[in-house]
Amino acid sequence: MSKQVAFEVTRELEAFVIQEAKYADEGQYQAWYDLWAEDAVYWVPLKDGDDPAHKASHLYDNYSRLTTRIKQLNTGNRFSQVPISGMRRVISNYEFFSDTDDKFRVEANFYLPEYSIQSTHSFRIWSGRYTYVVSRKGDSFQIHSKKIVLVNAEEPISTLSFLI
Amino acid sequence: MSASIDYKHLIQADKVHGSMYTDEAIYEEELEAIFYSSWVYIGHESEIKKAGDFVARDIGRSAVIMVRDKDSTVNVLVNRCSHRGNNLCNEMDGNKRNFSCLYHGWVFGLNGDLLDVPYPDGFTKDKKDHGLQKLVTDSYRGFVFAHFKEPKVSFDDYLGNGKKLIDRACNLSPEGEVDLTGGWVRQKFDANWKMLPENDTDGYHVNYVHQSFVQVIPSQYNEFVGGEDTNKGVIRDWGNGHTEIDFAAGYVNTLDWLGSTVEKSKSYVEKMHAAYGEEEGDRRMFDGPPHSCIFPNLFLAEMNIVIFQPTSVNSCVQWSTPMFLKGVPELNFKLLRQSEGALGPAAFLLADDATIAERAQKSLQAGTPWCDLSRGMDREIVREDGVKESRMSDETSNRGFWHHYRSVMLGEK
Repeated sequence: MSKQVAFEVTRELEAFVIQEAKYADEGQYQAWYDLWAEDAVYWVPLKDGDDPAHKASHLYDNYSRLTTRIKQLNTGNRFSQVPISGMRRVISNYEFFSDTDDKFRVEANFYLPEYSIQSTHSFRIWSGRYTYVVSRKGDSFQIHSKKIVLVNAEEPISTLSFLI
Repeated sequence: MSASIDYKHLIQADKVHGSMYTDEAIYEEELEAIFYSSWVYIGHESEIKKAGDFVARDIGRSAVIMVRDKDSTVNVLVNRCSHRGNNLCNEMDGNKRNFSCLYHGWVFGLNGDLLDVPYPDGFTKDKKDHGLQKLVTDSYRGFVFAHFKEPKVSFDDYLGNGKKLIDRACNLSPEGEVDLTGGWVRQKFDANWKMLPENDTDGYHVNYVHQSFVQVIPSQYNEFVGGEDTNKGVIRDWGNGHTEIDFAAGYVNTLDWLGSTVEKSKSYVEKMHAAYGEEEGDRRMFDGPPHSCIFPNLFLAEMNIVIFQPTSVNSCVQWSTPMFLKGVPELNFKLLRQSEGALGPAAFLLADDATIAERAQKSLQAGTPWCDLSRGMDREIVREDGVKESRMSDETSNRGFWHHYRSVMLGEK
């Protein structure tokens, strides 16, 4: 059973998620990357409940691949994000859990209109559920995993080279 | 085909007209000529192992179901109730004893036969005439192809040299079979479907579109950095619109294509030696998988299988799944991650291809009249068997695609 997370801690966790989202929206790649722990899993499954050992995902990065992803974005030649998509995501309906002594789980809905300025010059709508697992690091947190279940995950989706 | 579209003028040996990607009328004609009146790839037998297993596919605007019958034959049925046209099956995959329509409860067998009509007294027609539309199907090493009409070209004649390309993929399994059960990632492109097969066997764009990939990930593509003279890969037009980039000549070590080594993949190497002997096993493991398009909608994408699905003149969907090798499940985790890394919407490669295709689609609307495809025309060679070969950076493969496309659109094939 999850333990109740104290109200003050939920405010801290929410502020952390908002910070992470801002780095992603603004393409602050290094700042975003620095939030991750070395056991990182950044994951967009095809279906919630899929086992990544047997099924392909839209995206399944461990720390090493996440490092490569950021390096590629930082070359300045990752053309699917040159220039970076216009993004200001909205995150809401937060729920906070404390499954183990040292980790928190934050779940929230998100709504992300992406303006694809580098290709079609049109809005693409992304929406779904975030699940973060984080732990304390210094006076902030670090991310162990972020799972993004898109509402249309099982349908064809557009290019996803921005940080979702 | 309509007389108003002059394919002989729009598709020439060295160039194609921009309207080939943007004209609605051409799109309508190619759906009819290529997707509804020629052989198309549907799926793989490994996706439907047991009786009643099915997968849903979209061929142009037609939804179809590939299903394993009780006698183990594979049927491809149009996913549309023969009564009032309702979509019969809304799931992408699963297992069913039969297909029943939600609208009025008509029930169809796994072979498409109409089995049951509720309140039968009012329906006096012969049920035999009201089954689901069933496609003509044939298969090669588990790869299932189908035809909406009575084929004018035999399956063997259509597939032609494509058999050798499928062989090259299957021959990497110690059991001689591939297994496509890793799930399908589907990526939307706001671009005409023909840009996919064109780009997938275009060896010229790599150092430009994928420069960020080349900068951060070591792979067989790194050979491009030194320019076209350092690149040993070969581009091929196998005929019938089947095209290839053959990387084998550029590999240095066995299993380069897997991003692995003989030491790291001991169990695979042992199984291949046991199955084919040391010499032949080593040859297969050195040459690696095909990087080849089978006209019109199948791409043998090294250790992935890809399907192209046109959705409108300005959009298409690319399906991709890792190509597991039967008998070597220990490779599956690596193949899954490699598939996500290369193909699919967040991949290090395909995301950038999609953006370039979308930009081209947008600018071609403005009427850029011609796209040039002449590169390498004067230096490609024609082998004794008619197969054309040239340097990896030459457009021999694209010319091969368009040459065949034109003959299909003109009704010659």
